[in-house]
Amino acid sequence: MKIRHTLLILTAFLGIALLVAVSIQIRAELLDYQTAQRLAASNAVREQLLLGTEALANERSQTFVALLDPGRRIGRPGSLEEARRRVDTFLGAAERELKGTAGFISSTDAGLAALARIREDIGGLRRQADTSLASDRPQRGGEFAPRWFQEATRLIGDLQSSRLTLLQQERPLEPTLRAEANLRTQAGILSESIARNQALMSRALMEPGTVEGLEFDAISRNAGRAGLAWELIDGQLGSPLSPSVTAAIAATREDYTSTFAPLQQSLLNSLLSKVPIGIDAAQWYDATDHSLRNIAHLQQELLGSSRNRLEATLRRARLSVLQWSGLLLLGIAAVIGSVLVVRRRVVQPLEALSQTMLRLADNDLSTPLPRLMRADEIGEMNDALRVFKANAIQRERAQNEKQVLHARLRETYRQLRKDLEAAAVIQGAMLPPAAAMGNVSYRGLYRPSSLIAGDTYNVLRRNDGGIGFFQVDVAGHGAAAALVSVACHHTLSQAILTRTQGMRLEEIAAQINNDWPEDLPYFTMILGEIHPRTHQASIVQAGHPSPVVIRSDGLVEMLGEGGFPIGMFPAAAYERLDFEFAPHDRLLIYSDGLVEAEDKDGEQFSEERLRRIVGENATDSTRALLDRLDVAVRTWRGSETLDDDLSVLMLERLPERIPVDAVH
Amino acid sequence: MLSTDLRNNVLVVRVSERRIDASRAPAFKDEITKCIEAGQNQIVLDLSGVEFIDSSGLGALVSCLKRLGPRGSLAVAGATGAVSRLFTLTRMDKVFTLHPNVDSAVDQLSA
Repeated sequence: MKIRHTLLILTAFLGIALLVAVSIQIRAELLDYQTAQRLAASNAVREQLLLGTEALANERSQTFVALLDPGRRIGRPGSLEEARRRVDTFLGAAERELKGTAGFISSTDAGLAALARIREDIGGLRRQADTSLASDRPQRGGEFAPRWFQEATRLIGDLQSSRLTLLQQERPLEPTLRAEANLRTQAGILSESIARNQALMSRALMEPGTVEGLEFDAISRNAGRAGLAWELIDGQLGSPLSPSVTAAIAATREDYTSTFAPLQQSLLNSLLSKVPIGIDAAQWYDATDHSLRNIAHLQQELLGSSRNRLEATLRRARLSVLQWSGLLLLGIAAVIGSVLVVRRRVVQPLEALSQTMLRLADNDLSTPLPRLMRADEIGEMNDALRVFKANAIQRERAQNEKQVLHARLRETYRQLRKDLEAAAVIQGAMLPPAAAMGNVSYRGLYRPSSLIAGDTYNVLRRNDGGIGFFQVDVAGHGAAAALVSVACHHTLSQAILTRTQGMRLEEIAAQINNDWPEDLPYFTMILGEIHPRTHQASIVQAGHPSPVVIRSDGLVEMLGEGGFPIGMFPAAAYERLDFEFAPHDRLLIYSDGLVEAEDKDGEQFSEERLRRIVGENATDSTRALLDRLDVAVRTWRGSETLDDDLSVLMLERLPERIPVDAVH
Repeated sequence: MLSTDLRNNVLVVRVSERRIDASRAPAFKDEITKCIEAGQNQIVLDLSGVEFIDSSGLGALVSCLKRLGPRGSLAVAGATGAVSRLFTLTRMDKVFTLHPNVDSAVDQLSA
């Protein structure tokens, strides 16, 4: 998996985890909000229902007393119409609220149907009441009044149960709201009890003599229910209630206990004991109205408080949803931003660096570097890559230069070698091939340590028939020695050919030595001659290894004790060595490259070994003997190379030919 | 390559190489020349540790001798085997004073 995928997946995963967490929280907040909305809607419907119930109770009382009292002595004129309008207004409002909650409160349809039926029933009852009121017979109202009261009470009960059904469905959990809902129900019971007695007591006071026991019982029961309602209300006082509600309860209770309850009790007692009563129905009615208004005020306080609380809850829930939604949007923006930043600041530069590195690794040095003006780790990597590239370019340049130099060197070497090879051919051509000259035959072995050598030799016949020869080994080896050896070759050849009569061999050597330029390397040599008419030969040994004489009978002798090399000391003197050199005698002269050839342990081939090989094979032909020596040195060395130039020259005096003129 | 030791105003130069050949001759010559230029003209060359001298090495020795000139002397001590034979073969035994060991060479030079 590439680092790009790892980073992006990680970032995306973190982002999604954050979003999921926030989404779950938003869902919870939305649920809270919906709950608050439902509670608020339910409360709004119940508020209208409660107000409608109160209004209906008021209408019930007004209609009841109107039916009983055609003279309209009780109540204010026109207040019945107002009461009916209020009932219609509240119930209409309740219906509208209920319709408005259709989305989120269950059994709305059932509630609406119940409300419609109640309103229809109210309409029917009102029409009957109006008929009775408009009747010419005053008694007719009185006949209808109990039925009106009963039906209206039933409808009030229906409204209250509708309200309680709604409350059951959406019961608030918050303690204050619960207490307020309970208080409203209990205050409703209280209000209903008082409202019933308002009507019932009014009728009793209108005609005190006709009051029956059942009516007393009803009034007493209502009074008892009011007391019970107060006990329930008192039970709620431990709950956390707002000061205005507490104050309203206190005011209502004060009015009830100090004014209404004693009045009601004394009226009941007077009626029961049939003593004259101090106040009439209208006064009672008004006093009751006062108490009911107090309770209505309490209800208003409770409704207002609940409404405010629910609205506050709703606002809080909405704010919370908005806050979390904002957080969600921020989270999404953060995730997208993170992914973009990671891509732009990390992934893309890394990919660019990685691509560049791969191309540089492929030796593609023309690859441009990514343009990253940064001081962080990626910037440092880019800087390092820049240095790496610069070094690689420099290395490549150096490598190219080295290759060019190498090629030039190779070419120079090739040229030099060509020159040396040409020089070697020339040097080889200067050496005399195996041949017979007069009565002397000769053969050489010539092995330079490199292409050209500081060794050389020659055999020449002079005009007087004498055979002159030399072998030279110039100090050092290589090109300088080879050049000097050519000079020696020429000088000695000329000296042999141009030697004047009577000039001795050692004098030639001394003269060459004397004339030899001081700044040239010295050389060793054997300069010799084989006399044409005697069985004698002479040599001058100038620092050169002692030659070997192989007699015709196989005996081997070493010649000479040594002598100064040529070109070392100008004043040096040289000695001539004369020796017998009969037919089939052979002279073997060699350079120190032969006896000083070393094996792999550094041991020299040595004069002794040379002498032994020659001694053991003295009867071999010259050619066979030279080949044997060559093989012996190669075997000794263990390789085809030599550290020093090696040359051998063998001369043999042939048997004398009978001169042609001697035959005659 | 060389180690020097001044004894009785005679500079004893010991050659620690086993060979004085073409590859070592120039350095050998330079070092001895430096000693001569520093004013040493009584020099004993201890060749007891040297087993082989080639033509370049011999050239270097002679070159040092020439550099020293007639005022000074260059004695050779401890030449044996192939080195001794080379000295004989090239008549260098007539040019350099040969001594069997350093002590006798120093004794003679400081006398």
